[in-house]
Amino acid sequence: MTNHWIDIKNSDAILIMGSNAAEHHPVSFKWIMRAKDAGAALMHVDPKFSRTSARCDFHVPIRSGTDIAFLGGMINYIINSESWFKDYVINYTNASFVLAESYGFEDGLFSGYDAATRTYDRSKWAFEWDSQGAPVRDFSLQNPRCVFNVMAKHYSRYTLENVSAITGVSPENLMKVYEIFCATGKPNKAGTILYAIGWTQHTVGVQNIRASALIQLLLGNIGVAGGGINALRGEPNVQGSTDHALLYHALPGYHNLPLAQWQTLGDYQKANTPVTHIANSANWWSNRPKYVTSLLKGWFGDAATPENDFCYGLLPKGEKGADYSYMYAMDRMLEGKMRGGFIFGVNPMNSFPNTNKMRAALDHLDWLVVGELHNSETSDNWRRPQSDPAKQKTEVFLLPSAHRVEKEGTISNSGRWLQWFDKAIEPAGQARNFADMYVPLINKIRELYRTEGGTFPEPLLKLNWTEKYDAGEWARRINGFFCKDTEVNGKVYKRGQLVPSFVNLKEDGSTSSLNWLYTGSWTEEEGNKAKRRDTTQTPMQAKIGLYPNWSWCWPVNRRILYNRASVDMNGKPWNPEKAVIEWKEGKWVGDVPDGPWPPMADKEKGRLPFIMHTDGSAQLFGPGRLDGPFPEHYEPAETPVAKHPFSKQLTSPCYKFHTSKFDAFAQPADPKFPIVLTTYSMTEHWCGGGETRNVPNLLEAEPQLYVEMSHELAKEKGISNGDGVLIESARGAVEAIAMVTIRLRPFTVMGKTVHLIGMPFAYGWTTPNCGDSTNRLTVTAYDPNTTIPETKACCVNIRKIDTLTEIA
Amino acid sequence: MACTRRGFLKMLGAGALCLSLSQFGFDLKEAKAYARSLKIEGAKEVSTICPFCAVCCQVIAHVRDGKLVSTEGDPDFPVNEGSLCAKGAALFTMYTNEHRLTRPLYRAPYSDTWVEKDWEWTLNQIARRVKEARDKDFILQNEQGQTVNRLESIFSMGTSHASNEECAVMHQALRGLGVVHLDHQARV
Amino acid sequence: MPKTFLIDTTRCTACRGCQVACKEWHDLPANQTKQRGSHQNPPDLNPYNYKIVRFHEHLDENNNVVWNFFPDQCRHCLTPICVDIATMAVPGALVQDEQSGAVLVTEKCATLSPADAKAVADACPYNIPRYDEKTHMLTKCDMCIDRVSAGMQPMCVKTCPTGAMAFGERKEMLALAQQRLEQAKKRYPKAHLVDPEDVSVLYLLAEEAEHYYKHAAFG
Repeated sequence: MTNHWIDIKNSDAILIMGSNAAEHHPVSFKWIMRAKDAGAALMHVDPKFSRTSARCDFHVPIRSGTDIAFLGGMINYIINSESWFKDYVINYTNASFVLAESYGFEDGLFSGYDAATRTYDRSKWAFEWDSQGAPVRDFSLQNPRCVFNVMAKHYSRYTLENVSAITGVSPENLMKVYEIFCATGKPNKAGTILYAIGWTQHTVGVQNIRASALIQLLLGNIGVAGGGINALRGEPNVQGSTDHALLYHALPGYHNLPLAQWQTLGDYQKANTPVTHIANSANWWSNRPKYVTSLLKGWFGDAATPENDFCYGLLPKGEKGADYSYMYAMDRMLEGKMRGGFIFGVNPMNSFPNTNKMRAALDHLDWLVVGELHNSETSDNWRRPQSDPAKQKTEVFLLPSAHRVEKEGTISNSGRWLQWFDKAIEPAGQARNFADMYVPLINKIRELYRTEGGTFPEPLLKLNWTEKYDAGEWARRINGFFCKDTEVNGKVYKRGQLVPSFVNLKEDGSTSSLNWLYTGSWTEEEGNKAKRRDTTQTPMQAKIGLYPNWSWCWPVNRRILYNRASVDMNGKPWNPEKAVIEWKEGKWVGDVPDGPWPPMADKEKGRLPFIMHTDGSAQLFGPGRLDGPFPEHYEPAETPVAKHPFSKQLTSPCYKFHTSKFDAFAQPADPKFPIVLTTYSMTEHWCGGGETRNVPNLLEAEPQLYVEMSHELAKEKGISNGDGVLIESARGAVEAIAMVTIRLRPFTVMGKTVHLIGMPFAYGWTTPNCGDSTNRLTVTAYDPNTTIPETKACCVNIRKIDTLTEIA
Repeated sequence: MACTRRGFLKMLGAGALCLSLSQFGFDLKEAKAYARSLKIEGAKEVSTICPFCAVCCQVIAHVRDGKLVSTEGDPDFPVNEGSLCAKGAALFTMYTNEHRLTRPLYRAPYSDTWVEKDWEWTLNQIARRVKEARDKDFILQNEQGQTVNRLESIFSMGTSHASNEECAVMHQALRGLGVVHLDHQARV
Repeated sequence: MPKTFLIDTTRCTACRGCQVACKEWHDLPANQTKQRGSHQNPPDLNPYNYKIVRFHEHLDENNNVVWNFFPDQCRHCLTPICVDIATMAVPGALVQDEQSGAVLVTEKCATLSPADAKAVADACPYNIPRYDEKTHMLTKCDMCIDRVSAGMQPMCVKTCPTGAMAFGERKEMLALAQQRLEQAKKRYPKAHLVDPEDVSVLYLLAEEAEHYYKHAAFG
């Protein structure tokens, strides 16, 4: 989230799209209702009328997988109706940047496309550069090649007629949302967009979010109270575990995975440290070398020296363009290229797409270590239905893991608040937390290398490791230490003392930190700030529900990101009633500003607000994504239509997919699979259901797998409410109980009727008679940027069956 | 002694007799039927956090004699103000139901059953498997002769259920092993 | 002054925090349930569920979907007929606590004959008490009398995220209910309070009670 949970109350218009907030983040509705109480408009755009819709002013049904068309239409509306916030757009975004001639767009393809590799040469998507190396800018927006005009032309095709034809949303409903939400393009109004995996789990997932960013930038809604693009993050610590990068492509703190082409630390730093030629751009990532060196010092301690490149050479290097994500790991497993692995606190045999493939892939492992609270479809895959254990070779170690109240430490909530939890009780039986599994395991492996030798033991033996895990100690390691006595603002810190802020991290090896974003969370002066429970606020902070003294928030306790964009050139808030920061008597008050510099009116010291972008401006034109600098509508990988109104390019030209025998796809407008399936969760269960199906009081409330469908479809198929049905896709078949409801209705898409059904994915065979993985139906097609699978849209068929085997 | 209403009910619940019960105008038997003692009375309050979505509602765990007695929302936390959803409300039985794994389990190749093992044996076995795979499969150089020091045949999946500190431990350990197939729930 | 609940259904998201929190606090075991084509589960009140959220969907006059949620529980009537009926058979089987107004089942209830217990249940204008075959007790919401006696809120109210539920002195709750009603009427012209003169659980409904549950209102 750019903002945080409480801040939602400051909104004048709330667009919930790609999220079912009331069901999946129920307590968010405390703050959504507070906004409603204060007069905010609440809109829910979603295929299904849900518990969220029930509390919104209105619900707009949309065919799953057509969000960019819907949002592109809104961009077109903003431009045509001149709803955009001119001072903001001209000064704070790259609207004025002039594009080079090499950029082009024709019939659904941007310039630089290579069909053989399904990739773009992104160097074509360049700006014109002046003699200083800075982008040419036309603040008058007269130049037809400036971003604003090129963008306006791009979205001029997103007419109400075209958008309505493909999304299945009536023109009246489109206008209703556009008019209400775009009314927040005024300085004293704020609109927020709340999304979740309903947007990310598409082959155009990243571009869904980009489209929302364009809207929010045009309306001046980023950085302000009640604004922002707010990813309602799902998993308990998905924010923190992303920050700490349990992800192949990154190191903790949002640094790229080292690649083979960067053989030395110097190569790495050079390639990953941007340079700006715009004088008033802060270009915060120019500090990256300090954070990376401090990370290496954290990992390798005294063994990391300037002479040995701080042990950079010991780190694994990936290949450029290689994909080591979940989906590729599973595909390699199926090909027999994986020997073994660790699956901790996730249940891929239920929650990954195309589960039949995933379950077959897991059979190829020699060994598997699972850390879990309960037996799961993953731990027990070897004895799944229709599987003969006598033929399953995989050796499985199932480690009982401790759960939240049985351990201590911190998590980071969706609003980036670092919250400490105490240990209430001892873990059940012999259960252990994950660290108490890893620490002794690594110590045993180190001991084996010490005594027996082996391949390249250096990285393991040089690790700055520990004998016994202590959460507090690791929280301090994350914050970081001085590696030698250092003076900061007249105060001397001894070697081993905590670094007070990331501005004190150094490239010379004199500091360590396992994650620069968290430096400042535990200091010598104030101790463990994640434990703070102080509700003190200034009156200005109280107005917008800012609690700077409760816990701590990354970065540097800044509660609203990009908050320098909430003020004008002189540091005066666009909306004084809900000011986030304000320049008063030579200093900032309110939230912690995005950097200490004075407002932009100070030509020498002032800085542009989007400090994480090299050129300081938010990117309406975003050349960093693999699939295009502007979001463009493409159909899902499996689509009920054979064409759409925007181009001949039916599906994303870049989406990734696999080609094993399990990776079958329906044809476009395939008569065998005419119905759109979308998947979701619900309040009472959690993701794949591994935890919540084992809580009897929750299973009681939602006991078995269902499929929600319209009365029209049910009638067409001869299905009655409560009947057993079989849902089939090109990849698998799933049994469910029919829930026939007015909350789903047929869509008219490109002139024909398209039915959409919805199913939760929380049920699995280890819970008797509740049904099995819905994801046996879903598709193994992925967003090209993130490799997130398209579990929110695929094509299926459905029929009534008399005998159920999975549900009883 | 100040016989407050709360104290009075508690004494009835505990089966203790207050002097001169009749002075309260109660029929003892009737009152006793519903005067349960407050189950969290005297329990230690421990601050924890709901383990489901990333609203991260703060929760008070009531603990007595090392056992969980009850859980409820922390009214002081500015985000949830004491409230919880169905999942958060079910935390207590989440910890007290019979489904939890409590011992390391081992399933041998081609076996049809789990066997209980101790931690020492289990971790020794896993360490051995990891080292064998690492020694056999570690890639020191790629085809272009560049140093890559990576291990492709072992993977790690999950875990957004880990604390930040556990994540830091895991990331450091896995990169130390040379693992590149490292991924978690941000991608599903 | 008796205690009173306000249940403002115009704020309810059916998260079922109340339904589950009630079970957890009262240590009630789970029922084996089935999916029958509805989110409402368990389908009805039962000895192990003193509170359930009822779901009801219909189309309004403009063909818009309306999905109503009704967290159903004992109304703790100001003049509880169940107490009167039970008293005729076994005095003290059901009692009304003077201080809180809570209508409570006592252990004497187990001595009611099955027929008498059924008569007590049938007398309820809101179809609340359920008979537990194992314990021979009538079961229903007890207002979390243990918590209320200790100055705490009932567990369902404590748990509610959206402010759909409030609990306090009757006078305050009546005032709050009026305030909420006026607010709700702006969006829902048919909004009303259900039987406010008779019960300690004030339901604010956005439209006719029949669109919630057949026993949502008396008569």
